[in-house]
Amino acid sequence: MSETMSIESYLADGGKLSAPGNAPPRYRAELLRLMASFVDSELAGAAGFADMINAGPGIKERIAASKIVLEKTDNADKVLQIMGEFGANTARYANHHPWSDRLPRDAELAAKRAKGDMRLAVFNYPLSGWSDAVTMNLLMGLAVDEQLKDLGKVSYQPLAETFRKIAPIEKRHAELALEGLEHLTKQGTPKSELQAAVDYWWPRVDQSFGAGKSARFERLKTWGLRHVENQKLRADWQAAAAAALNGLGLDVPQ
Amino acid sequence: MSRFQPLKVTAVQKTIRDAVVVTLEPENGDLEFIQGQYLTFRRDFEGEELRRSYSICAGLDDGKLQVGIKRVEGGAFSTWANEDLKAGDVVEAMPPMGNFHTDITPSEGKSYLGFAGGSGITPVLSILKTVLKREPLSTFTLVYANRGIATIMFREELEDLKNLYLGRFNVIHILESDAQDVELFQGLVTKDKCGELFKGWIDVAAVDVAFICGPEPMMLGIAEALREHGLKDDQVKFELFASGQPGRAKRKATSKSAASRDAMTTTRVTLDGASREFQMPKDGQTLLEAALEADVDAPFACKAGVCSTCRAKVLEGEVEMIANHALEDYEVAQGYVLTCQCYPLSDTLVVDYDQ
Repeated sequence: MSETMSIESYLADGGKLSAPGNAPPRYRAELLRLMASFVDSELAGAAGFADMINAGPGIKERIAASKIVLEKTDNADKVLQIMGEFGANTARYANHHPWSDRLPRDAELAAKRAKGDMRLAVFNYPLSGWSDAVTMNLLMGLAVDEQLKDLGKVSYQPLAETFRKIAPIEKRHAELALEGLEHLTKQGTPKSELQAAVDYWWPRVDQSFGAGKSARFERLKTWGLRHVENQKLRADWQAAAAAALNGLGLDVPQ
Repeated sequence: MSRFQPLKVTAVQKTIRDAVVVTLEPENGDLEFIQGQYLTFRRDFEGEELRRSYSICAGLDDGKLQVGIKRVEGGAFSTWANEDLKAGDVVEAMPPMGNFHTDITPSEGKSYLGFAGGSGITPVLSILKTVLKREPLSTFTLVYANRGIATIMFREELEDLKNLYLGRFNVIHILESDAQDVELFQGLVTKDKCGELFKGWIDVAAVDVAFICGPEPMMLGIAEALREHGLKDDQVKFELFASGQPGRAKRKATSKSAASRDAMTTTRVTLDGASREFQMPKDGQTLLEAALEADVDAPFACKAGVCSTCRAKVLEGEVEMIANHALEDYEVAQGYVLTCQCYPLSDTLVVDYDQ
């Protein structure tokens, strides 16, 4: 009963932490970094999609876009509250960066994040009309689906539970995107227009899976903050995205 | 930011030899909690603020707020609580926190399984009392591990609960040292011991939710046993009492070099056990930026002084922190800074991200 083990060995053996007080300083920092990346991506994604509400071709589309904006913002808040338990100033965090900021559409393809926020680089690129938005939502939605499968296993239990609650909500957004594209195809949107959107977003979404093996990944793995390697997540996404595109009569870019 | 409220101590009950149950009353208004949550107290010990968390052991319907505090070897707070704390004292605590609970569903009959080791009984007791009262169709099995009979906290209360909820509440005491009538009930609660218990004593297939609170090796063993017997991740809840920080924070080092007019600062940064030394200008670059430039994989997120990801401890030297919207006074008093907001003032600087 008196035997204890170091938190590091406990985590390496698959142990879970349950409160901020359990977290050693480096674990805390990497956990905050991981959470900030999710929060910033959700807020940036929602901000970009907010512009699209008015671009929806019909009422149902406007409703779908509004629902996506509301739910992504709410998902960001769920994780932001946990950051708050670690000391982040949540009220100020929500506004510390203009989430709708974007680079030019033709800005260089780079995996670097913008200064001052942790959104995945894909969210630095602007949407260009309704079909473009729906296509991006499909490809990125399928990517988020894979990423949340990994994040749902994090060793910080309250965050794992939150990600598990968020996953079906995000999955529904990807389904709405697929339905949206099916509808656009039926309505006569030229395939070339949709394919151009696919060609633009595919490499940018692909990049959001990060580099191959890295020292940081190994460390995060021993702490239970990551479980599945970037390459595997990427491969799983590529397969799911290819299947979805082919079903719509669209091609995976070379 | 933390909000502390004063709580009056209305009773301190010495239970087993080195544990007390403290009854508390909020001075202003009510204090609402969820079963299984904990309170974080703060108190100055020799000029240094310490914060410690203790689980609420009362159920939602007990009509009172109680925490159980077991003395830890060399523990400043727990020793003080066991030796000096008395009725009439006022302590400061943050609002209750913690996710160690599941929703109460009065119309459902669920099968709960709880594992507690030593003082880990405190939140589990709160949960089982609440669940048995508010879900009349549910059952609760508690596996309670202790060194010996004399170290069992709440032994009588658990007996009373068994009689009160006849047939719905079962306790299996596992004792490390003392011999038991049933041989299986002696020893440590390990993965194998769980396997044996699941054979004849516990219907694990019927279990809806399991709560585990105890020492780390015990929790790992139980978790594995439950997983092997079909429980999913979201059916098992853990509460870990361990702290990620050392017991008593070291005093902030008195700076060896005061602010000076030299243009450069020699800075040493430690991250993940490795230290890197570099020169940085006193103006024009934050500590974080300089560290990143020197190839230190320093943590950061907002770079706005708001998220506290970039927090580190200054061990030597002086810095100026431009904005601080995240660190509390007591963290700053211990030497913590937000490195994304810091500019060096002294000629040498030693900063540690590992503390």
